[in-house]
Amino acid sequence: MTSPSKGIYLAIAGAAVLAVAGGAAFWYATQRNAGTQTAADQLVTVNATTCEPNAITVPGGRRSFEIVNASDRPIEWEILNGVMVVAERENIAPGFRSTLEVQLAPGEYAITCGLLSNPRGTLTVTPSDEAAAAASEVTLRKFLGPLSEYRVYLVMQGNAAVKAAEALRDAITANDLEAAREAWHQARLPYRRIEPLAYRFSDLEERIDARAAYLAGREQDPAFIGYHRIEYGLFAENRTEGLAPFADALVADLTELAARLKQAPLDPGLLIEIPGESALQIAQGQIPQGENLYAGNDLQDLAASLEGIGKLAGLLRQVVAGVDPALDKVIEQDMQAAEAHLAAIAAEAHPTYGDVPKAARDALAADLTRLSESLRKLQPAIGMN
Amino acid sequence: MVGHYLKTTALALALGGWATGAMAADPSLDLVEPLAEYKLYVAENTAKLVEDTTAFTDAVKAGDVEKAKSLFAPTRTSYEKIEPIAELFSDLDVSIDARADDYEQAEQDPDFTGFHRIEYGLWEQGSTEGLAEYADKLLADVKELDARINGLTFPPEVVVGGAAVLMEEVAATKISGEEDRYSRTDLWDFDANFEGAEKIYELLRPLIADDEADFTAKVDGNFAAVDEVLEKYRSADGGFVSYEELTDTDRNALSAKVNTLAEDLATLRGKLGLG
Repeated sequence: MTSPSKGIYLAIAGAAVLAVAGGAAFWYATQRNAGTQTAADQLVTVNATTCEPNAITVPGGRRSFEIVNASDRPIEWEILNGVMVVAERENIAPGFRSTLEVQLAPGEYAITCGLLSNPRGTLTVTPSDEAAAAASEVTLRKFLGPLSEYRVYLVMQGNAAVKAAEALRDAITANDLEAAREAWHQARLPYRRIEPLAYRFSDLEERIDARAAYLAGREQDPAFIGYHRIEYGLFAENRTEGLAPFADALVADLTELAARLKQAPLDPGLLIEIPGESALQIAQGQIPQGENLYAGNDLQDLAASLEGIGKLAGLLRQVVAGVDPALDKVIEQDMQAAEAHLAAIAAEAHPTYGDVPKAARDALAADLTRLSESLRKLQPAIGMN
Repeated sequence: MVGHYLKTTALALALGGWATGAMAADPSLDLVEPLAEYKLYVAENTAKLVEDTTAFTDAVKAGDVEKAKSLFAPTRTSYEKIEPIAELFSDLDVSIDARADDYEQAEQDPDFTGFHRIEYGLWEQGSTEGLAEYADKLLADVKELDARINGLTFPPEVVVGGAAVLMEEVAATKISGEEDRYSRTDLWDFDANFEGAEKIYELLRPLIADDEADFTAKVDGNFAAVDEVLEKYRSADGGFVSYEELTDTDRNALSAKVNTLAEDLATLRGKLGLG
């Protein structure tokens, strides 16, 4: 039998001290509340025409405000960052008070003061160690919004991919070659936006995005199905005949993909990993070689891919902005550079992707490689492991 | 980091027992699904709001008072359901949904716009005269709201706290009959706020059902009780009768339940680690 370690006793003693301190703090807070003073960091009295005080300065961090309604109408009190409400207390009746606690980052805010026609007051939040610590801390909580938003994006683009494939199928069934070609261009876009995650479902990816070059029998291979088989029919064989079964299968496979994306478990590690990986794949694969060999509209696809990567980068920047502002800025610049470069090449109106000169492709690939390298720095900066 | 961990642990020891539940741990990844589902729900509602507002403002501009009156309340419901998110944009919340009381010159104030300004024209003045510009502005504003919401990453604490916010809204402005004072269609808004709160609760419920069975039983019961009273006031067309028909007994019963719901739902943030 071993005796409990010293550490346990220390922890228990420490806990007891904390418990007593906690009790004292509670008593103190109760006493302060009972008086006419406020326990909040800042007391704000709203009268008929203005806030008192009307210009407030507090240090950044978690701050509390006690709002007293000294007017004769019910009021709401809001802290505004531009047009966005940062925090509010609604429906404070005349003569009543209400307390608001809010996490504030340094900056200039406005406060509302009763009637909408009353002038607003100002709230200046100054830098503080507390605010700096809160901004730089990496927590799961900071990822919840971005993860949820990406899930919404997957659902919406997944559904859009199904709808676009249905339009393609309908044009094929109607034997309208021109409409089917245009529908094919459009049908690729939502898929490319969500490809950073979609390609991981390899069984579906083989059916949806198979390419003849990777199949033994090339275009004649029975496994050659999906987007590119339809592309081959529409743009190389110049006909819609015989494509309906491929279009039906594509609709079914995208429907299954949308269902799986909706269920896909997302976590911070995955969210951080996929945009950089995707940028690198495009830099090394599609940009040098082209992927839509028969339609030749790779620039359109690349723009959609960049949108998908940009969505992820934008969400991750919400997390990294406070932790590593320099990295946030670099990702923004690399993203903009790649977009601008792609737009410039597209503006040159090359008949097909094959006509884009190698030098231009190399430069674009370099942009994407640089972007992927910046995105890779997210793991050490905000990775949760 | 280690220091922080020790402090947290010591505090947890010190507060052990009585504080569990009140001070939940960090939020969990399980929140991602309901948060995403909620945004999809809001997106559906803002799309519907744009569609319905188009029909409503068309009727106003066509001078069809009766049709405009019949579309007023149903059009507002998709706004009222998603109010916790919609009101994040203070400029649009004001121009779409402010009441005359919010202005110094009340109904005569030149800045008084939106649904309630049109409501005032239709019911108090019995005419669409002069309403066309408010109609155009309202439609432009709801389209802008739709676009801004689609681009917004929803703050988790606003979503989770939204259930209580909606019930507080009901308690403060619907039970009192303040909101739709000219048309007396308050019960439509009441029901929409109520549905919006229930949606948030239903999405989060699976995350707490196992550990908080007493809590969910109580909240379920209060939602059902409010629903039962509201059902008595449903009209044949699926809408609601005038607020004036609400009896004092039912008003008091609703008030008590709604306040309890507001208090209980306000604990969701803490329970889910978003306090």
